[in-house]
Amino acid sequence: MSANALKNHEIPFAPCRSHHSNFWTDMGLNYYHILKRVRQARKLVIKGTTAAGSGHPGGSFSMAEIMGCMYSKFLRCDPKNPLWDGRDRLVLSKGHASPGLFSNLAVAGFFDRSEMESLRKLGSRLQGHPDFKCPGVEFCGGSLGLGLSFSIGLALAAKMDGKNHHIYTVIGDGESDEGQVWEAAMAGSKFRLDNLTVFLDRNFIQQDDYTERVMPLDEELLGDDISEMWKNAARWRVGDKWRAFGWNVLEIDGHRIEQISKVVNSVLQTKGTPSIIIARTIKGKSVEHMEDNPKWHGVAPSPTISPIIELEIDCQFLIAPSIIAGDMSNLENEVKRASHGRSDFIHLDVMDGQFVPNRTFDHEKIRQLRPITTIPFDTHLMINEPVKHVRDYIEAGSDIITVHAEVCDESSFGEIRDILRSNETSLGLAINPETEIPTWAEKFIPDLDQLIIMSVVPGKSGQKYIESTHEKTQRISKFLQERNFQGLIEADGGVDLSNVESCFLDGARVFVGGSAIIGQKDVRLVISEFRKRLMHARRKLLITKAHSLGGADLVTKWIDLHEVGKKKSELVQIAKESGFL
Amino acid sequence: MTEYADMRTVYGDTLIKVGEENPNVVVVGADTTDSLKTKPFGKKFPGRFFNIGIAEGNLITIAAGLANEGKIPFASTYAAFLPGRCVDQIRNSIAYPSRDGRKGLNVKMVVSHGGLSVGADGGSHQQIEDIAITRSIPNVSVMVPSDTVSVEKLVRLMVQQYGPFYMRMARSKTPIIHPQTQEFKTGRGIVLREGSDCTIAACGITVQMALDAADLLRQEGISCRVIDMFSIKPIDSELLEKAARETGGIVTCEEHNIMAGFGSAVSEVVSGMYPVPIRRIGVRDQFGESARDSEVPMLLEKHGITSIHISNAVKDIRSGKQ
Repeated sequence: MSANALKNHEIPFAPCRSHHSNFWTDMGLNYYHILKRVRQARKLVIKGTTAAGSGHPGGSFSMAEIMGCMYSKFLRCDPKNPLWDGRDRLVLSKGHASPGLFSNLAVAGFFDRSEMESLRKLGSRLQGHPDFKCPGVEFCGGSLGLGLSFSIGLALAAKMDGKNHHIYTVIGDGESDEGQVWEAAMAGSKFRLDNLTVFLDRNFIQQDDYTERVMPLDEELLGDDISEMWKNAARWRVGDKWRAFGWNVLEIDGHRIEQISKVVNSVLQTKGTPSIIIARTIKGKSVEHMEDNPKWHGVAPSPTISPIIELEIDCQFLIAPSIIAGDMSNLENEVKRASHGRSDFIHLDVMDGQFVPNRTFDHEKIRQLRPITTIPFDTHLMINEPVKHVRDYIEAGSDIITVHAEVCDESSFGEIRDILRSNETSLGLAINPETEIPTWAEKFIPDLDQLIIMSVVPGKSGQKYIESTHEKTQRISKFLQERNFQGLIEADGGVDLSNVESCFLDGARVFVGGSAIIGQKDVRLVISEFRKRLMHARRKLLITKAHSLGGADLVTKWIDLHEVGKKKSELVQIAKESGFL
Repeated sequence: MTEYADMRTVYGDTLIKVGEENPNVVVVGADTTDSLKTKPFGKKFPGRFFNIGIAEGNLITIAAGLANEGKIPFASTYAAFLPGRCVDQIRNSIAYPSRDGRKGLNVKMVVSHGGLSVGADGGSHQQIEDIAITRSIPNVSVMVPSDTVSVEKLVRLMVQQYGPFYMRMARSKTPIIHPQTQEFKTGRGIVLREGSDCTIAACGITVQMALDAADLLRQEGISCRVIDMFSIKPIDSELLEKAARETGGIVTCEEHNIMAGFGSAVSEVVSGMYPVPIRRIGVRDQFGESARDSEVPMLLEKHGITSIHISNAVKDIRSGKQ
C-alpha cells in the first residue's frame, strides 16, 4: 500500500483503492482492527437500543462479525461521500437488525457515534428500520424478503454500465420463509450475477420461536433439545436448496473473522454465478443471556442491565495453543490438532538461539504451515533485531506479530508498527517476567493490538507459571486502561486449567496454552475445558459488577435473564459462592 | 366514424422511441411481455430488457433496484397482478425509499387489463381495486389514460418526470379522443367539452361514455361539462372546484369499485373546497364475471356503467337541485 494509505490509516477504506484482480488476496487479515470495531459496534447496539427502549439486539449480534468484516475491510466506500458512484453496496435485507447496521456505519465514520442514542426517536435519521435518511444506508429494509430482489436490480444495473463494484446482501433465515427470496434466487442465477454475494445469517431463531419449529429451513425440529440441531452440521440442508437454485454456496462459522475474510476473498474471484455464504451464527452472540434465546429477537436491554452487558462484550476471550509444546518434528500435525480443537489463534513461538538460548523455526516453516488452516497465526518473535525480519514473517502469513520490548527501542518499534500497519497485520509487544513496559513504549499503547505478558522466562516450553505475574498483570491492565489501550493482554507461559481463571480476572483475554493444551491428548476437549473455566471467571466478574452497581437485587435481576439451558442455576451457584446472594 | 386503437401497441412502440432517446430507459416484464407489447423493446435493446418470470413482487423490487442506480424502469404486466400481487413491494421498495429530496424511486408501473372490460378472463382477473390501492400509497402518481394519444404522451411524461407512477390501460381497443397536439401534465385534467348545468368527470374507457352521455343530455337541453381526469393523483383540484362552482354538480365515472377509487378522490376534493352534489358511477362493491368481447358492454351495463346511467345520474343531481 502507498504511503498515502498509511497516513490515512484511520480511514481504512479509502475510495481510491485500486482494482487489480489480485488486490483482495494481497490484503492482510487485519484481525485486531476488525475485532475492535466489532466490539465497538456491539456496544453501540446496546447503547442505541437501551436509549430507544426497543429494537432488535439479537439479530444485530448474530451478524456482528459479518458486518464488522465488511465495513472494516471489504466494502469500498467513502463515509464522507456516501453516494460515491463506485462504492460497493451492502443491502441489509433483514432490516429489523438496523442497530447492527447503524452501529457499523457510526464506527466507520458515516456519522457521529453519539447519534446512536437517537435510535427510533422522533426526528432521528436512525429509524426503526434502515432508511435512506441515514447516510450509508443502501436499502430501506424491514418488510422481509425484498432485499435480494433489490440487490438484483443493483447488480443488473452495474453489469449494464460495466461497473465493477460488488453488491452484498444480508438476509435472515426466518426471512427465508418469504417466497420472494426464492424468486430472487432464481433471477440471480438466470442473470449470472457474479457481482452479487448474499450472506445468510443462519442464527436458527425468528420472532416466534426457533426457525426449525416455525418453518424448517433444514429439517423439522422434533423434541425439546433445541441446541442439537445446529451443533450437527451434517443436518444442515439449506445449502442444498441454494445449490439447487444454481448458486455458488459456501458455508462458514459466521463469528470467525478469518473465515468470513477468506470466503469473501473467494467469492470475489468467482465468475458466472452469484454466491451465497451460509454463515452459521448465534443470535445474541457475545451476551450470554441473549444467546440462542428467541426472546431477545426484538427486546431492548433495560438501562440497569446495560453496563453489565457492555462489560460482557469487553470480556470476550481467545485461546492460542502454542504448537512448540507438541512434536517439533511434525508441526503440521500440531497445527491440525489446534485447528480441529477450534482454537482462536495458532501461537507460533519463533526463537533464534540468540535472544533466547533455544532455536525453534523461522518464517520458512510458517510459510509451510500457512495453508493448513485459516485460523490466525499469532507469531511471537523471540528474536534479536526484529525490525530486520518482520517483513519475512508478514509474507509468510502471520496475522499478528509480537516483538519483544527488550530488543526494541522507540525508533525500531515505530518502524515495526508502520510496516505491520501498512500490511494490515496486527501489532503485539511482549515483555519478559523481569521487564516492565518501557517508557519509550508508552506512546504506542493506543496502537497496540496485544501485549504479551510472559509468565515464564522465554526459551522453552513446559515451565511453571511465575506467581508474581498475577499482580503484575493486574497492575499493567490498569495502567493500559488509563492510556487508551484498545487491544488485549495475552497471558503466555505456564497457563493451565488451574490458573486460567485467575489470569482472566487479572485482565488477560488471550491465553497461550503450551503443554496444557498442545501437550494434552485431546486438544479439542481441553480447549473446551479452558473455555468453560474462562466462562466461569467471566460470570464471576459480571456478577461482581452487578453487585457493585445494584446489590443483590441487580444480581438476581441479571441472573434471571439467563433462561436457556442450565445457565441460571450455574450463575446462582457462583453468586452464592461469591457471597452476593 | 370513430377511430379505435390499441393501447398496448402504442405503449410498446412509444417505449422503443423513448428508449432510443434515453439510454436509461429499461423494461422489466413478468412473462406477459408478448401481451404487453414490450417484447420488441427487448429485441431492439436486449441488454435493457429483463423478463423476471411470473413473480410480480420480484419484478417490482428488481425495478426498484434498477431505479436506485439511475435507470428508468418500466415494469409491466396485468393489473390483476400489479398492484394486485405486490402492494407491499410497491410501498416499501418503490414508494417509501426517498433520498436527496426526491420522493420514492423512479419506477414506472404500467399495466394493462384494468377494470371490468377485461371480459372473458372473469372476475378474478378484473382488477377493480387498483386505483384505490395505488392512490393511497404516498409518493405514487396514478394515471388512467382514456386513449392511445394519452398513452403515448404519458409514457413520454413519465420518462421526463421523476417519481413512482402507476398507469392503468384497458385491454381492448379504445376510441381516439384527444388530438395529437393535446398537452398532458400531471395534476391537470382536460376539459373535453364545456357546459354549465353539470360536470361529468371520467377516466379511462368511461371518458367516451361521458361524451356520449353529454350528447344525449344536450338533446334534452342539458349542458354538461366533460373532463378527462387521466391524472387521478395528483388530482386537478382547481379544475374540480371551478366545475363545482360553475356547474353545481358532478357525476364521476370509472370501471373500478366506487369505494376509494376515482369518484372518491373527486369527492374528497369537492367536499372540502366547494361542496356540491356528487353521484359516483362505478362498480358497486362487488366482483365482476366473465364476458366475451361482444358481451363486455352488457357486463358494464349489469354494473351500471353506461352513458345512460351517467345521464340519469346527471338528471338526478339536477332534480335534487330544483
